[in-house]
Amino acid sequence: MELYLPIAELPMNVFILLGMGAAVGFLSGMFGVGGGFLLTPLLIFSGISPAVAVATVSSQIVASSASGSLAYLRKKAIDLKLAGFLLVSGMAGSAGGVWVYTLLRLTGQLDVVIALCYVTFLGTVGALMLSEALRAIAAQRRGQPLPVRRPGQHGWAQRLPLKVRFRRSRLYISAIPVVVLGVAIGFLGALLGVGGGFIMVPALIYLLKVPTTIVIGTTLLQTLGTMAFATVMQATTNQTVDIVLGLCLMIGGVIGAQFGARVGQRLRGETLRALLGLLVLSVGLRFAVDLVLEPQELYSVTTPAGGGMR
Amino acid sequence: MRPARLLAALAVAAAAAAGLASPAGAERLVTALSHDNVSISSNFTGTEVVVFGTIERDAQTVARSGAYDVVVTVAGPLRTLVTRRKERTVGIWINADSEVIERLPVFLAVHSTRPLTEIASDILRARLSLGLDMLPINAEPGPEPPVRTDFEEAFLRLMQQERRYVQVEDGVEFLGADLFRATVRLPANVSVGTYTAKVQLFRGGALLSTTEETLDIGKVGFEAHVSEFARDWSLLYGLVTVIIAVVTGWLAGVIFRRD
Repeated sequence: MELYLPIAELPMNVFILLGMGAAVGFLSGMFGVGGGFLLTPLLIFSGISPAVAVATVSSQIVASSASGSLAYLRKKAIDLKLAGFLLVSGMAGSAGGVWVYTLLRLTGQLDVVIALCYVTFLGTVGALMLSEALRAIAAQRRGQPLPVRRPGQHGWAQRLPLKVRFRRSRLYISAIPVVVLGVAIGFLGALLGVGGGFIMVPALIYLLKVPTTIVIGTTLLQTLGTMAFATVMQATTNQTVDIVLGLCLMIGGVIGAQFGARVGQRLRGETLRALLGLLVLSVGLRFAVDLVLEPQELYSVTTPAGGGMR
Repeated sequence: MRPARLLAALAVAAAAAAGLASPAGAERLVTALSHDNVSISSNFTGTEVVVFGTIERDAQTVARSGAYDVVVTVAGPLRTLVTRRKERTVGIWINADSEVIERLPVFLAVHSTRPLTEIASDILRARLSLGLDMLPINAEPGPEPPVRTDFEEAFLRLMQQERRYVQVEDGVEFLGADLFRATVRLPANVSVGTYTAKVQLFRGGALLSTTEETLDIGKVGFEAHVSEFARDWSLLYGLVTVIIAVVTGWLAGVIFRRD
């Protein structure tokens, strides 16, 4: 069933859109990540202009993170104060991201910057996750206990000024790394159309030493907030949010996520992390290959603003 | 044949029969479109517009040798575009040089009875900007065929790859001695705006007559409301999108809740 998308200005098959949302939702439910880093490239690949893809995926991330945030709110597994700090700084970063996005579109360098960011972040995070998970699996095979990394109380973050107490996380740390992290994630989110969970989760665990039980819920809530803000920003500055496309992706996504979560609970933690690492790494490599190989078509036609022809 | 097209064909025939005044000794073209406007609604997957025409002659028309040739040019809304070229810089391919392409149609379909080179000389075609090879890019039409830069060549190639620019050399079909038809396919990603359908009649390498019809392509119903809402009430549109997203997520949580 073909459906004409009013903002993307092209018809797409509804079942393909629902399927795409469901497939990405399944993976995000299984791994506990937003899945924007998969959905945005997938949409661009199917012919939707990068501008519409990035802006619309932010609305889809709102739906998927709303579902999770509410569940964690019920379980009270969210540090509201920490989420609030991350959220406010995330909004500032998000505004900066939308501005840089518009600027890059004008100079025709948006695609290459997006690709470079994907290569850098997905490559690094994917490689780290995969190697950590493989080491854990190997250690288990040999029957050795894993060297458990305890949340240290004396990280470099402790020595910075402007300390704030986060009661729920049992932390008394400087606000500076928290704000820097929020700004960076918000910036990347708006620029790349990703929620940034794949950076936020390891950063909260390893850099800020937030207890793991609190991390997921807090990340989901701050993703919800920043992406809601990014959606409104994109709608007002670039007018590229396609509500019909977004709704199809949301419905597919939230359903897929439920099944993904069930499968994810049956898999072992290390296996899950190894698979996610592999997935993240391969998306990053895919972008790297495109950047390095000589493209078949060297030329491209866009509007002066860098968008697709309308 | 759909009723709309049949009606258009009848209208052309009726106009021809009415024998409207024409300059003495010349052929006159009477043309019509199957629709004057195309509505884009939620099930739009592209459409066809049929250009009908008839060649009207009176008793004084001088007998000319050779068959008639018809060229139908449908051109879409004008836009300024940029063509960019990638170059390898420190190992990666990034956009380097570019050329701004000033105000050209984003849709251009040239249909003709025969290859254009057989219909008219290059000099005449260049002056009339007839055919994709004679389309003036960042230049005025003149007696010389246009000289293209690499960017302009690439622009034409890419536009043809995307089916935005097409040239069909047997796209105009004569249904009788004087009645002809051209079926122009508008792709699903067609741009909204005003289009013109120019019909030119040639014989023996000379232009005899020209007509021009306009065609409006616009969104209707739900699609039109959504794009107007997104454009005129962008803040509210963004907020509504966020609310819909939160409600969708919340509903899913309620439906699938297991704890």
